[in-house]
This record gives sequence, C-alpha cells and structure tokens, in this order.
Amino acid sequence: MATVQDLPQVRGVKNIPMEELYSSGHRTCQGCESALVMRLMIKAAGPRTIVLGSTGCMYVANTTYYSTPWVVPWMHTQLGSSGSAATGTAAGLASMMRKGKMQQEPINVIAFCGDGGGMDMGLSAISGALQHDEYNLLILCYDNESYANTDIQASGGTPWGANTTFSPPGKETRIMNTRWKKNMAPMLAVGHPNVRYVATACGSYGLDFNNKIRRALTIGGPTFIHSIDPCPKGWDYDPKYSHELGMLSIETGIWVQYEIIDGELTLNGPSRAIAKGIRKRKPVEDYLMRQGRFAHFTPEDIKYFQNRVDESWEKWWLPGVIPISSAQGE
Amino acid sequence: MATLAVEVVYRGIFQRTLARNIVRNIVFAARKDGKIGTAFGRYGDSPERNGIPAKQFAIVADTPSELEESLAVYEATNVDVTINVDDTMCKGIESWAWYGLQPINELTKSGGTLIVTSRQDADALLEDIHQKDSPYDLAIIPSTVSFSGLWVYKDDHTDMRALGALCKVCPEMVSLGAMLESIKEQTGSDTKVASVQRAHDRTTGRPVEPGEGNTETPFSFDLPGWKTMEEGLVIRGVAAGTGFRGGEEGYTPGRNEVFKKWSTRSMRPVINFDTCIKCTLCWLQCPDTCFDVTPDGLYDANMEACCGCGVCEAVCPVPDCVTMVGEGEFNGNDSQWDAWTADKDGYNKWMTVLVEKQKDETRTHGFHHIGQYSEEITAAEEV
Repeated sequence: MATVQDLPQVRGVKNIPMEELYSSGHRTCQGCESALVMRLMIKAAGPRTIVLGSTGCMYVANTTYYSTPWVVPWMHTQLGSSGSAATGTAAGLASMMRKGKMQQEPINVIAFCGDGGGMDMGLSAISGALQHDEYNLLILCYDNESYANTDIQASGGTPWGANTTFSPPGKETRIMNTRWKKNMAPMLAVGHPNVRYVATACGSYGLDFNNKIRRALTIGGPTFIHSIDPCPKGWDYDPKYSHELGMLSIETGIWVQYEIIDGELTLNGPSRAIAKGIRKRKPVEDYLMRQGRFAHFTPEDIKYFQNRVDESWEKWWLPGVIPISSAQGE
Repeated sequence: MATLAVEVVYRGIFQRTLARNIVRNIVFAARKDGKIGTAFGRYGDSPERNGIPAKQFAIVADTPSELEESLAVYEATNVDVTINVDDTMCKGIESWAWYGLQPINELTKSGGTLIVTSRQDADALLEDIHQKDSPYDLAIIPSTVSFSGLWVYKDDHTDMRALGALCKVCPEMVSLGAMLESIKEQTGSDTKVASVQRAHDRTTGRPVEPGEGNTETPFSFDLPGWKTMEEGLVIRGVAAGTGFRGGEEGYTPGRNEVFKKWSTRSMRPVINFDTCIKCTLCWLQCPDTCFDVTPDGLYDANMEACCGCGVCEAVCPVPDCVTMVGEGEFNGNDSQWDAWTADKDGYNKWMTVLVEKQKDETRTHGFHHIGQYSEEITAAEEV
C-alpha cells in the first residue's frame, strides 16, 4: 500500500489552512452549502490532490462554460461512476509510479458524488471501490437530498414527505414521497468490513469537517464520508440560513454525526451530547417548518416525522445509526 | 401579419413562478384575441440557480406559420417589451461565465418598452440602465421586489400588475379585454382581475432618447469558440493564491477570471471593521471564497466574488458587524477595506447610514416560515 500524506489533525478553527484550492467564480446558487463542502474538502486535503466529480451540481456549476474555480486537477466522470473513477485513478497513479513514469509520492484521490449519483446510481461502483482495499482513496457523498441540478427530482436521499418535482403534494394525496431517507454510511460500513474509515459530516461544522477529511485521507485504503448539505433551491429557504439549517438537522437528531474507525463507532458534536443525555434533541418542527419543501405538512405529518426520529434514537440497536433491534429484547 | 415578443428578466428560482405566470398568461390571453403564442425559458439559464439572473419569453403571432417561423430562431434576439421584475438588474444581466454584463435593454427593439418593477423613479433607474442607440420607452410599476422560492409562492399580484402594464404599453400584442377575461378564467379571482385593470390604468411610459442613460461600457469577455478550445476540452485551472494582493502577509485566493460577479447578487455585506473580532467564521463559511484576508487578520469581502447569500451576516457573532445591504445603494465593486483604511471616520459614517437605512427594508430572499408571505403582503399594503 502506498504511503499517505502527512495531514495532521487541526486544533482550533484559526489553524485551518488559509490556502484556497477551490475558489470563486462558480455558478452555484446563493448560499450553496455543497460549494462550501467542496471548498472545505480541498482545503483539508491540500494541493497534491486529484479530484474526480460525477455529474451533478458540483460538476455543472463548476465547469461553467469552459471556466472553473478549481485550482487542483479535477476531472468529470459519469453519474454513477465516482467509485470506478476513484479506483481507476488510484490504480493508474500506483502503476505509473511503479513503472517509474511518475515520481514516487502520495497523491490524494478524492471522488465526489451527489445523493443521486452516489446513493442511487453509483452505489454498486462505490461498493466496488470500497472492496479494493489496496488503494488509498476517499469518496465524498454531498447529499442535498434531491437531484438539485436538474431542478429537484426525488432521490434515495430525499426525506419523507418532501416536496420535489417527482413528489408534489396534491389535494387528494398530500405526502407523495413515502420513502424514508436511505441510511447510506452505515450500509457501507456494515457491508465493507475492511474499510477503515466511514463518517458522516456537515459543512456547518468547518473544523470537524476538515479533520474528518484528513482522517479519511491518512488512515489508508478506501474511505467514505457522507455530508448533509442544505440546499436553498430545493429545500426552499432564504440562502442566509444554510449554516443554521445544517446545525438544526443535527440538533433535531435527524442527521447524526459520527465516525466509524476500524469498526468502532464514535458519535461526535451535538449528536454525542444528545446520545449521552447532556443535550436534549430539538423538536423536528424547528427544522421542518423553516423549509418550503415541508410547507404542506399538517401537525400529523410533523408528529409522524418526530415519531420516526424518536424511534431511531430510542429503539434502534445503535441509536440514530443502525435500524435493527433485537426481537427478544435485552 | 406580425410576431411580437416579450422577455421577462428575473432572479432565478426566487422569481421563477412569477416569470412563468407572466409569460403563460400572455399566451392564454392572446388566444382570446384570436392569436397564437408560446411561452418558454431560455435554455442557457437552465439549470436555474437561486438569485442568478434568468429569462423567460412569450411569443405571440397572428398565424401558426408565423409562430413556427419565429420558433426557428433559437432565442429571441430582439423583443418588443422587456419586463424586469427586479430593479437591481437595471445594472445589467449576468447569467453564465464569459457572458459578462449585458445591458437590461439590450434586446429591447427601437420603439419598444422596458417595464421595471421598482420603488425608484425613472431618473434614478436611468443612472443604472445602459444607454442605447435607439429610442425606447421606460415604464415603471411601483412596487417592492417580490421574491419567493421553488415551492411556496408569494402571491402579491406582481404578476398581475406586470400583465396590466403590458396591455397598456403593447395593446397590439394582447388587449386589456382579452387579458381580463383570461385572468378571470385562469384564476377565478376578481381581485386579480382588479389588479390587472389598476396597473393598466396607472402605467405610463416615459420616452428614453438615444444616448440617455448609463454611459459606462459594460464589463465583457471574448467568448472562446470551439476552434480556440484546447484538445480534450481541457480547462486551465485557477492560479494558486498569494499573500494579500500579492504581498507577504494575509491571503488573496486565485480566482476564476472569466466569471466575476456584478449583478448576480441583489445584496452585499457591509462590514464594520472596528468591531470585527477576527473569529474567522465569515471567511470559513463563505461558499464563494469571497473574503480576502488582510495582513492584520481582517476579512475584506471581494465584490467580484460575492454572490450575496448572506451567510456571513448569519454566522457573525458580533451584532451589526456584517450587514447585508440592498445592491441599489452601490455602484461598482470597490473594496470596503480600502475605503476604511483611507478614511476610517468617513467610512464609519457612510456605513452607519447604510445600516440604519437597511433596518426599514423589507427585502427578503425567500422562505423563512409558514405565513411569512401573507404577513409581508399585508405589510406592503399598509405602505
């Protein structure tokens, strides 16, 4: 296995690297949290990094008519192939170095995908990449809970009841998206026992995000991070609330922040405080009613949503993470 | 015998439903006059982004063959009426990279009309609107800007007022009678019909002479053609950053040189450098990498990079240290840090006036909570 770069954990927000490797001049929405995720990701990874992007907002908006905000090398790959592109690139680099066509050095390989490209279309390719544990790579799923680039179609990441162009609330049927959000990170962690690092993250917690990226890139082998990205366009809110809604998704217990390192799970941030009983979960209403995509919700719908979230914390085998409970009871 | 075209210039997503209501209702009404028409969005604006200027068109023709003939043109290159539903775009329209800044009246025909929703008067708007070689009319619909989002629409009749004004300035496209009948049929609402009628009665155009208006040359680029692109469509990356403006200390990121921000934002942050505690949050949480780090650790928002989302204002822990101010107050993209360094007292006075004025502004950028839009409509009626 190739060696990895020296990317130490950062202590304190003031020590986050100043260098910008994903810069201004992209055509994202005002207040785009996914653009922030790209920026924080590459800030943490540093200049000796190759980024691969599958189709989605972060492809289309960042290669706007023959121009780009990327400083580091970046390549587009097809919607479902972030996993294959990552493995191929890492393998290609290893082979070039072995043959002496490139100088030996650890180069970070990061492939990103949206929730559509990663959680729906690219799931098998990501699984394949995570099985090739001889290569160092990171797959980052930036999840804005819909196919946001093509104007908000429902994906596997779309929450229950949300308004999308595929699930518009009607007079007869109010809740059109009856699926619960796909539980992506635990699925990959449980299914790929050799993977040393799987984590969830949120751009609202910049320092935590920075350190998770660095841990993923330095632990060795393929790794996966799932990030929740508030989307002012598809979630329908004033762009200035992007940061606050990211925090609220965690404070309400809907999104859970954790790392799984060598099979050991550690909750972190507000999720840890909630699990330890130090902090009370905020009602989901505080989060849902701030977004136009849930504006059609009745009190019963909010209650249903709250019950499902309560259940995930009270009845799941690993609270908020793994939706399995013992039939015998403990 | 004729084909007539309207373009609606609007803020992407924030005013998408508004624009769609305008162009669709033009076509519905034109049918009442025995004409035929079509309404469509500009392909180049899709996928739409929050706040980024976009366009939709309505084409009305006397006969199907005339309509087909006009549709063979990819996109209208000149229009009889331009409707601008956010007056901050009078400074120009900027959609994709390389486009630069297009004058708001660029497509308006000689003798055509530019309709703007605004609280400003014609003279104030003409300070921003670029001059043209040919004469046209400027009509103003007095109103605050109407912003909502993708799913919840702020039904404040801005669409109805625009339609009423259109019937006044271009009755040969659609008559008032047809519009009133069509709106009644489409919406079933008498108050909407009344809004169309009232806007029709109140709208007057003011002639604008050739050469009248903003004399600045709008910011532009040379768009590369397919022959000048590199093999494999390779795009050159952005240069690495340097110290603050090329110096030793601080930091200025390298930036995409062909996609700078001019009219993309409708608000911009105004910073009180004296109360800044250098917590880094505005810089860290900015999705557009817009803050340059000064040698003394302050953050100068670079207006060629800022798209006006307001996250910096939201995350700043110091009251009134970062305040979002409507773009109508500014000309140009000058650095606030430069102004503050040159004359601290002068800057602080200027800033205090702007921030105080902002407290009376009702400009919002979309959904905050249920019932907000009806509250805003009630508040607007009281004004």
